[in-house]
Amino acid sequence: MSGPVLEARELSIRFGGLRAVDNVSFAVERNLVTTVIGPNGAGKSTLFNLISGLARPQHGTVFIEGKPYRNAQPHQMQKAGLARSFQITNLFFDLPVAENLRLAAQVLEPKRLWTMPVSASRRAAEVVEQLLERFGLQDKAGYLAGALSHGEQRRLEIAVALACRPKILLLDEPTQGMSHGDTEHTAGLIRSLTSDVTVLLIEHDIGLVMSISDQVIVMHQGQKLAEGKPAEVRANPAVQTAYFGHA
Amino acid sequence: MRDALTNSMRASHVLALVLLAAGLMFAAFGAVTNDTFYLRLATEALIFGGLALAVDILLGYTGLLSLGQAMFFGLGAYVAAVVLIAIPSFWLAFGAALVAGILTGLIGGFIANRVRGVYFALITFGMAQVVAKVIYNTRSLGASDGLIGVPIVKINFGLFAVSSDNPVGFFLFTMAYVGALYLIAAYILDTPFGRLLIALKANERRVPFLGYHATSARLAAYVLAATIASLSGALYPMLRGFASPELLFFATSGNAVITVITGGAGTLIGAIYGSVLLTVIKSYVGSWTEHHLIVIGILFMLVVIFLPNGLMGVVRPWVEKLLARKTRS
Amino acid sequence: MIEVLDYLQFVLAPQVVTGLTLGVAVILVALGLTIIFGLLDVINMSHGEFYALGAFMALALSWIGVPFWLLLVLVPLAMLPIGYLVERSLIQRVFNSKDRHVTTLLLTFGFGLVLEEIIKLLFGPNPYKPETPIRGAIEVFGIFIPNYRLFLIVAGGAVIVAVALIVYRTRWGAIVRAAAFDRHMAASLGVPVHRVYAIAFAFGVALAGLAGVLLAPIYSVFPTMGRDFILLAFTVVIVGGMGSIAGAVVAGLFLTQVQAIASLYISPVWSDPIVFGIMVIMLMVRPQGLYGRLGHA
Repeated sequence: MSGPVLEARELSIRFGGLRAVDNVSFAVERNLVTTVIGPNGAGKSTLFNLISGLARPQHGTVFIEGKPYRNAQPHQMQKAGLARSFQITNLFFDLPVAENLRLAAQVLEPKRLWTMPVSASRRAAEVVEQLLERFGLQDKAGYLAGALSHGEQRRLEIAVALACRPKILLLDEPTQGMSHGDTEHTAGLIRSLTSDVTVLLIEHDIGLVMSISDQVIVMHQGQKLAEGKPAEVRANPAVQTAYFGHA
Repeated sequence: MRDALTNSMRASHVLALVLLAAGLMFAAFGAVTNDTFYLRLATEALIFGGLALAVDILLGYTGLLSLGQAMFFGLGAYVAAVVLIAIPSFWLAFGAALVAGILTGLIGGFIANRVRGVYFALITFGMAQVVAKVIYNTRSLGASDGLIGVPIVKINFGLFAVSSDNPVGFFLFTMAYVGALYLIAAYILDTPFGRLLIALKANERRVPFLGYHATSARLAAYVLAATIASLSGALYPMLRGFASPELLFFATSGNAVITVITGGAGTLIGAIYGSVLLTVIKSYVGSWTEHHLIVIGILFMLVVIFLPNGLMGVVRPWVEKLLARKTRS
Repeated sequence: MIEVLDYLQFVLAPQVVTGLTLGVAVILVALGLTIIFGLLDVINMSHGEFYALGAFMALALSWIGVPFWLLLVLVPLAMLPIGYLVERSLIQRVFNSKDRHVTTLLLTFGFGLVLEEIIKLLFGPNPYKPETPIRGAIEVFGIFIPNYRLFLIVAGGAVIVAVALIVYRTRWGAIVRAAAFDRHMAASLGVPVHRVYAIAFAFGVALAGLAGVLLAPIYSVFPTMGRDFILLAFTVVIVGGMGSIAGAVVAGLFLTQVQAIASLYISPVWSDPIVFGIMVIMLMVRPQGLYGRLGHA
């Protein structure tokens, strides 16, 4: 299929007098990593909330594979093929790691299996096994998610988003608070995801952004300031001023 | 790899079997000694255990505290009483209580699910109060006296029949009936739908992003709990020969919450153990003082403070470990 | 025309006065509930039993000859340490548990059960009817108002105004509101948050006790007297907005009038379902109630 897999058109929301996201449009091509950068308060997370259905835009539309979604709720966006992770770890802390993944994966099972014991959900079980291995959490499968280390929780956060086999994956600061080694590892993981999914990322680590992004969108005070390949964006004088604080 | 939550549910089943064995012994003992009083009391404990089961589905699995579950229990009792007075057929009363449970559950769920957290507790409390007062004021339902004169019913299974005035027979029947409600609930809670409810309890805000419509799931849980409460209530007039407004009052709802917390929320079988335990305490302490509620209240407070997972929270992990070891070896 | 005036004078007006009396008492109880919720996030299910405890304390003290006027001061004062202790020894124990709302609700529910049963143990289950401390009636615009009811309305009203002034106009009230708005911020600014909680809880409980003293001469005194009354108080708190003082006052006056008028025009037995129905509808359409929370508005 041609055309962008995800497109935001004129998305806007204001909270009181603050234009949190102001007329932002962009398109994301299939199987690429697109990163949204910008200083704190630039509206990056709000933009993710608008796309994932957590917040409703006052203006604008989200398109997934050309199909418009207006005021859709989170579960409808998930059905459309979009999954997301959260900046503040948002897991089922009281449930085992494997169950966190299984809950996300069971949505793939046909309706008929919904009236059967979970042991019949073979496909979900396979997805769980694959993800545990891919994210290096096999040994922790039986642990409660709340008992994991911060880095492990951040990895599980991505794995849960991936478990329902989305077309588009929104990752909100996936490496937040991770050690250097963990960050490197996660970057490699994200890069490897693009064979199956399209990734839209919020990230602060500029080195990481430059190394894994195919496309970068710069936000500033709710607006899109610039867009392009990492090198182009870095050379952009407006970005230099707004983001790096010097020209 | 064995699913941890399935393993926990199996542990509950093991504990259910223990209770079943104790119940059978009790019935045999009751039959030999020709007892009526204690068999009736135990039957009542099981019936209220059914109500507690409904509370546990909401509180222990879905994370919703219902302070008005007695409303459905009482409605089931009234519906069954009305039917039995007109036509003394168990199956008709059962069907009517089933339908009433589903319908009122849908209505109640529609109302209660508009709010969350403490507001959910308060709205279920308020709804039950309204319905209880309406029944209390309705002369055709016997007003404050309730519906009396429910006839003895013969529960016909084709091959054999059980009469509600036979203490041993009706006790065994009730044990099978509440056991069936337990198994149905346990089965449902181990399906993907049941896990969705557990997810709602664990972190409701994450659920929609996994592609689930949280409100529908919560409504379904509410209807399930309403139906189980109603079906449990339907047995009450068969046991006692009447249905009274007290069955819908807050005292009944509150008692069911105490039962679940004491027995162990989120274990399902804890609801039945809790009901049996409280009945034993009530009749034992009650034999030397009428103020048994002091003992129960203090016990309840101690459990809330020191054993947040209740009696089964202590016992069940032990059984889980045994089961896990057995499957590994 | 004469009939209309007679009707107003002899039928409607006394009902309004009855409603007002109940209204003032319910507001006193609701104020305690709403302050406790607004500050501690605790639904105090034992509040009705504290109200009953106040009434029984007054009854017992009056038996040993303590005059009514002194009871109005003594009983709330005696309730303060009880409330303080309950908060420190019970509620604080589970205050940091994961689901504080539910845990504290359950704990206070259990405590209420025990308290009610202890009262039953000490005084028996039967109702007492204390003597009216102020006899006679006064005629206002041709409407006869029993002196005691008038006293209750005026004295209770004064207490309500005083509570509002304390919360909104004093330094102590500012501390309470700050703690209600953001406990961590308040704590970091040096507010002894845990002591503030305990004192606020004790204060709320004392208000319930005072309501018990005031209402005892009008309604009888019995161990379960708190049950129905607390439902009304909860309704007032919910309709007014959990944690709102202004809301409790407005909703308290409104709902008791609804109850009084409904028992006149429909039937006394239907006034409860109507009031609780209003509570359910309010929770459905506007769970935050008429007014915002303490510290948030």
